[in-house]
Amino acid sequence: MSATPLVSIRNLHATAGGTPILRGLDLELQAGEVHAIMGPNGSGKSTLSNVLVGKPGYEVTDGEVLFRGQNLVEVEPEVRAREGVFLAFQYPVEIPGVANNYFLRSAVNAIREHRGEEELDAIDFLTLLKEKMKLVEMPEDMMSRAINEGFSGGEKKRNEILQMLLLEPTFCILDETDSGLDIDALRVVANGVNQMRSPERAMLVITHYQRLLDHIVPDHVHVLSEGRIVKSGDKSLALELEEKGYGWIEGAEGEGDPS
Amino acid sequence: MSLAHESIDRLAAAVGTRRRECIAAPALAEHLDRLHREGLAAFEAQGIPTRRLERWKGTSLAALESMDFVRVGGDVSDPETILAGDADLTFVEGRLHSPGAVRADLPEGVRILSLQEAASEAPELTSSFLGKLSEAKTDGLAALHDALFEDLALVHLSPGTRTGRPLRIRSISTAASGDQPSASFPRLLVVAEAGAEASLLFESGSVGEATGYTGLVTEVFLDRGARVEIVEVQSERQERIHVTQTFAKLARDARFDSHVLSLGDGLSRSELTVRLEESGASTRMRGFFLGRGRAHLDHFTTVDHEAPHTTSDEEYRGVLTDDSRGVFRGRVIIRPGAQKTDARQSNPNLLLSDRAAIDTKPQLEIYTDDVKASHGSTIGQLDADALFFLRARGIGEPEAKLLLTRAFASEIVEGIEEPTIREEVGLAVQKTLALVVAKEEGAQR
Repeated sequence: MSATPLVSIRNLHATAGGTPILRGLDLELQAGEVHAIMGPNGSGKSTLSNVLVGKPGYEVTDGEVLFRGQNLVEVEPEVRAREGVFLAFQYPVEIPGVANNYFLRSAVNAIREHRGEEELDAIDFLTLLKEKMKLVEMPEDMMSRAINEGFSGGEKKRNEILQMLLLEPTFCILDETDSGLDIDALRVVANGVNQMRSPERAMLVITHYQRLLDHIVPDHVHVLSEGRIVKSGDKSLALELEEKGYGWIEGAEGEGDPS
Repeated sequence: MSLAHESIDRLAAAVGTRRRECIAAPALAEHLDRLHREGLAAFEAQGIPTRRLERWKGTSLAALESMDFVRVGGDVSDPETILAGDADLTFVEGRLHSPGAVRADLPEGVRILSLQEAASEAPELTSSFLGKLSEAKTDGLAALHDALFEDLALVHLSPGTRTGRPLRIRSISTAASGDQPSASFPRLLVVAEAGAEASLLFESGSVGEATGYTGLVTEVFLDRGARVEIVEVQSERQERIHVTQTFAKLARDARFDSHVLSLGDGLSRSELTVRLEESGASTRMRGFFLGRGRAHLDHFTTVDHEAPHTTSDEEYRGVLTDDSRGVFRGRVIIRPGAQKTDARQSNPNLLLSDRAAIDTKPQLEIYTDDVKASHGSTIGQLDADALFFLRARGIGEPEAKLLLTRAFASEIVEGIEEPTIREEVGLAVQKTLALVVAKEEGAQR
C-alpha cells in the first residue's frame, strides 16, 4: 500500500439487535477504487452497510472504521453523511407527506453548509436536480411526489442513485442495489453509479449476485462469511463464485449456489 | 353552583346594558332577553360541567369555577394573532369591532353583520335561527353562553350566492387590568340558504397575559345543497381557558366541512356537533391539535346520522410534546332508518415526549342495518426508519423530526379547500411546529 487508504476498517466487531454479526472484519479502500462484497445470506453484508452509516440498533463492540483518518464509530449519522459517507439503501423507506424535491434540497443544503458552501436557492437547485434526473431517467413529476410513495422497486432504487448524484459523497456504499431490478432498471442504476466513479471516490458494492458486477466492474472482490472477509481477489473471483458457489472457499459457510 | 355569584351578576348586568343600548328591533330584543333568562336558569340548574359527566371525563374545569370575572373593555388598537390578513369582523373580549371597509367587496346577497347591524337589517332572520341549535337546555356552558354573550357575528348567504373570497372573523382576548380575569363570549351564526357556498376562517387568540375564559358558540344552518367550510384556528395562551362549541344542521345534499386547529398552550375544549338531517347530506370533520408545555387539548365530536344516504368522514390528528395532554372523543350515531350511511372516523396521534399523554375513545352507536362504519385510533412515535433515512442524508435530527411531524400535520392542512386559508393556516402550523419541535429537541439534549 502506497497511499493512505480513504477507508480503513480494522478488526470490526458489531452486533445487530444484540446478536454478534461482524467478528473481526478488515478492509481497506483506496480512493478511486470499487470494491465488491459478496457472501451468502446471513454473512453480515447488510449489517456492515448499516454499521458504516451508524444506524441505531447496530452496535460496534470492537475495532474501528477510519474514514480520511477519522474514526466514524462515535459520529452521528447526519455528520457521517455530511462528511461524505453515503448508503444506497436496500429497502428505501416511503415517507408520506414529505415532498421529494423539498427533502432533496434540504439534504443538499445541509451538506453544502457543512462544507462551508452557500445554500442553493430554489432555482439553482432545480437546475441541478433536472441535470441529475436525466442521468437516472426519472420523470420530473416524481419530484413533487412524497418520498418513494407509490414508487415501484426500480423507481425507489433510481431515487437512491439520484440522491447519491446530488450529494456527491466520497465513500459510496450500495447495499443490494440490484435486488428487484429488471435489466433496464439495472442498466440505468449502473450508469448512474459509473458516473460517480472518480479518483477521489471509493465505492463498496454489496451484492448477492455477479450480475450487477457486469455493469459496475469492481477492482477488488471480497467474500464475507460469518462476519469476516474470508477471501479476496479481482473481478474474476465474482465469476468464480457465480459458477461454483461459496462452498469451496475455506472458512465460508457453504450455502452452495448463490444464484 | 359554580362560578361566584357576584361574578355572574356583574357579567349579566353588562349584558343587559348592552342589549338595551344596541337593539332597535323589539322582537329580536325580546328573543335575546329570553335566551338570557333561559340560559341563566339552565346554567343555575346544571352549573359548570364536572368530570362526573361522561362527556367530561377527560377534562376538569375546576380552574374555571374559582375564577372571579371582571369585565374588561380594554381597547386594542393593534390586535395581533399569529395569522396575517384583515378580518371582516373582530371580536375584542366578545364585542365586535368593525373595520367597515373590509366588508365592502362582498357580493350581493352575502352579509356579515354585527348584532347591532343585524337588528336593523335582518332582525327576523336572526330571531328565527339564533339559539335554535345550541344545546343550552342540556349543556351548562352553552347555557352560560346564551345568557351572557354580548355581540354576534351573523353570516347570511342568500340562495345560490358565493362569497368569492374567504370570510374572516377573529376573536381577541386582551390582558386584564391587574390580576382580574376576563370572560368573553363571542357568538357566530351562519345561515347558508339553498345552494349557497362559503369558506370562513375563524381565528381566536390572546394578546399579553390575558387570564380568563373564552367561550365561543357557533350555529351553522345549511339549507339544501349549501356548502360551508369553516376553519377554526385556536391559539390562546396558557393563562386562558378556551371552550368552543359548534353546532351544524344539514338539509338535503348539503355539505359541511369543519377544520379545527388547536395550537394554543392552555386548557381548551372543542366540541363539534353535526346533524345530518336529510338524505345526501355529508360532512368532513378535520382536526389537528398540537400540545406543548402543560397544554390540555380536548376534542369532543358528535355526528348524528338522522337520514339515509348520509356521509361523515372524520379525522383528528394530534401531536403531543412536553407535558401536554390530548383528549379525543368521537361519537358517531346512526339513527333507526338511516340506511346506506357511510361513516368513517380516525384519530392518529404522535407522542413526541414520554411525559405527554393522549386519551382517545371512539364511540359508535348504530341503530340500523345496512351501513358502513369504521373507526380507529393510533398512538405512536415518529417512524424510526424514516427518521434515520433523513439523517443518513445529512439532515440533522431536529430538522428531520420537524419534517416528519409537519408531514403528519400536512394531511389535515392540505384538506382545507379554500386555497388562501390553506396556505395561511399551513404557515401558522409550520411556525408553531418549528417552535415546539425544536424546543422539545433542545430539552432532551
